[in-house]
Amino acid sequence: MINVFAYQHGIYPRSEQVVAATRGVDRGRVGADAVERAFADDLAAFVRVQKDAGMDVFSDGLLKWQDIFRPLLEGLGTKPHTLVRWFDTNTFFREPELSGKVPTLGSPNGVVPDASVPRPRVSTLPSPYMFSRASRTDQDRNRLMIDLAERVLRPAVDAAVAAGSQMIHLEDPWLGYFGIKKDDWAPLNDALKILHRDLDATLAFHVYFGDAGPHIDQLLRLPVDAIGVDLIETDVNELGSRWDKGLVAGVINGRNSIIESVENTVEVARHLADRVRPRNLYLSSNCELGYLPTVVAERKVQRLGEAARKLKELVSV
Amino acid sequence: MSVAQDHKPLLTHEVGSLDKPGWRVKAYAGQPLTDKDFEEARSWGEQLTVPEYEKLLDLLHHAPFGKDQKAEIQRWSSLYALRLEESAGLDVVYDGEQQRTEMYDWAVSHTNGFERRGGVRAFDNKYYSKAAVVGPISLRSPFHNAEFSYLVSVADAELKIPVTGAYTIADWSFDERYDVDTDLRESATERRRKRKAARRDFVLEVARNLIRPNLQALIGLGARWIQVDEPGASTEADELDLFVDSFNASVEGLDATFSTHLCFSDYNLFFPAIERMSQCRQFAVGFANYDSRELGTSDEARPGYEVIKKFRDLSYKPALGLGVLDIHSDFIESPELVRDRVLYAVKVFGDAKRIHVTPDCGLRTRSWKVAYEKLKNMTAGVELARKQLGV
Repeated sequence: MINVFAYQHGIYPRSEQVVAATRGVDRGRVGADAVERAFADDLAAFVRVQKDAGMDVFSDGLLKWQDIFRPLLEGLGTKPHTLVRWFDTNTFFREPELSGKVPTLGSPNGVVPDASVPRPRVSTLPSPYMFSRASRTDQDRNRLMIDLAERVLRPAVDAAVAAGSQMIHLEDPWLGYFGIKKDDWAPLNDALKILHRDLDATLAFHVYFGDAGPHIDQLLRLPVDAIGVDLIETDVNELGSRWDKGLVAGVINGRNSIIESVENTVEVARHLADRVRPRNLYLSSNCELGYLPTVVAERKVQRLGEAARKLKELVSV
Repeated sequence: MSVAQDHKPLLTHEVGSLDKPGWRVKAYAGQPLTDKDFEEARSWGEQLTVPEYEKLLDLLHHAPFGKDQKAEIQRWSSLYALRLEESAGLDVVYDGEQQRTEMYDWAVSHTNGFERRGGVRAFDNKYYSKAAVVGPISLRSPFHNAEFSYLVSVADAELKIPVTGAYTIADWSFDERYDVDTDLRESATERRRKRKAARRDFVLEVARNLIRPNLQALIGLGARWIQVDEPGASTEADELDLFVDSFNASVEGLDATFSTHLCFSDYNLFFPAIERMSQCRQFAVGFANYDSRELGTSDEARPGYEVIKKFRDLSYKPALGLGVLDIHSDFIESPELVRDRVLYAVKVFGDAKRIHVTPDCGLRTRSWKVAYEKLKNMTAGVELARKQLGV
């Protein structure tokens, strides 16, 4: 029997109220307290959506994060650099400026889930590989990857676990989109070892915005508990079988507004359960849902929950 | 007609949007105006010598506003923005898109076949409204005619009309029409093939059924220079040919000067695809965002402009709209910094007539005060460069 879980990772969209409030504060038209109230309402709404959908692990949606690196950079006391396009989306991130020696994360407060989020919790962080590749640096990028794992991500992971996170979701669209050189696998392995060592939580490494199929053998050798794949880009038949790790199956499309059919989603998930036979099967979205309007994202989370419920019934018999 | 040949060397122009004044936003939204809003309308009216701006102040005191009054307030906003650009010394101007909601939303809301889905974030606290294509695409009615006709009647300087391009409209939309039957059990290769074909159908339908008839309507009103804005053009590295095909399908055979605006990309990606874009007479491209703020005209001093050599070498010799103002920062570029960026570009091109000078992109993320200072320094910097070059 396979254990099936559902959770939503990554940056979740902001509501129209938060949009209006954050726009207003930037233009000096509303106060910071109005923004805080709007964010608190959004968080409460997202928690409600996850509960109603029957999620097994809960996220705070990283609602205040300006991009996946920003709270970490703020914790380091470093300023981000120029705006750079986030892969092939119409969103942008500020390039982390990490020249010279990487400082140790001083204040991880910005990366732990809010206390109002139900347990068990999931925390999403950038993978050390993506972090090292997306940054501006004068250092060797594999050395930077190790330094980031040691000095930035491990303190962030420890803070998240101390705050109740039982799932640490490392997102890595870089590997999916741009790929990885053969010689970079070993340093990635070392960086993930740093994060996985004595960790009292499940560590997932999620490759998206690209086909994970060509990398599956290497991915399955990484020292993590679960591998995530983007099933919009990856052929289910290329995932192999009898995994000794968990599979985070990105079955919900975070880049399209069409709501998935429950039946098709369940059939794909069932196929994964039967064929890949992972240790645990985590149903989720192929990427973060931040590219969608809130109303669409809410329906996708509900649909994810419906599919997980049906699948649990099917695999338990 | 060629932009490069018909204009003076180092022609200056804006790129697109300006922020909308608080009085314009609130009046349109039916929100009460504050003393700050009235003062903003008064002080800018005075500073920019907007003719009869007291009439706007009087109008703003007569809330609530009906449909006609709101339209009149939008025209005032256009006039203020036009005067800001003219007062800053730009050679070619428009109105900072004051009468449009936003470059994408304005286009799709005047088009059949799209439905709004809601707001999504572009970066930080910047968002845009996103729609889905759900049916056949057609132009409901030409959607820049009214603003263009008004601006023709009040502008002293030459006009260039920014129009959102087909590729960007498609790229910024959800597709609920062309690629809808995704079955994850199908092979990923087959799904990608279908997605690519659907994407092509979508982009080219926008070009033919939305952009082209809108351009034809503007040309019918006397528009001579139309800038096709394509900030999304390089989003997908493997679709540059599709972007070029959509530009060509939009403008082919039409009698006007067409240029395009590209920003915040790895511009190397555009080559060689844009070698087939010979009806584009100018590329307005953002570079300052990637450049050093130090003075100098050497390659080392101007890292943000390294790629301009590729634009120089295009066989059809378009002009380059050289972005010299970082629109993501309140940093005010000095005239000397602008001068050096321009001199560097002229040195690379060997022809000042092929260099036009612009901000990196629309300045709508900056306050009017910052935008005005930046634009004034831009034109001052161009004057320094002209003197040094003797042109």
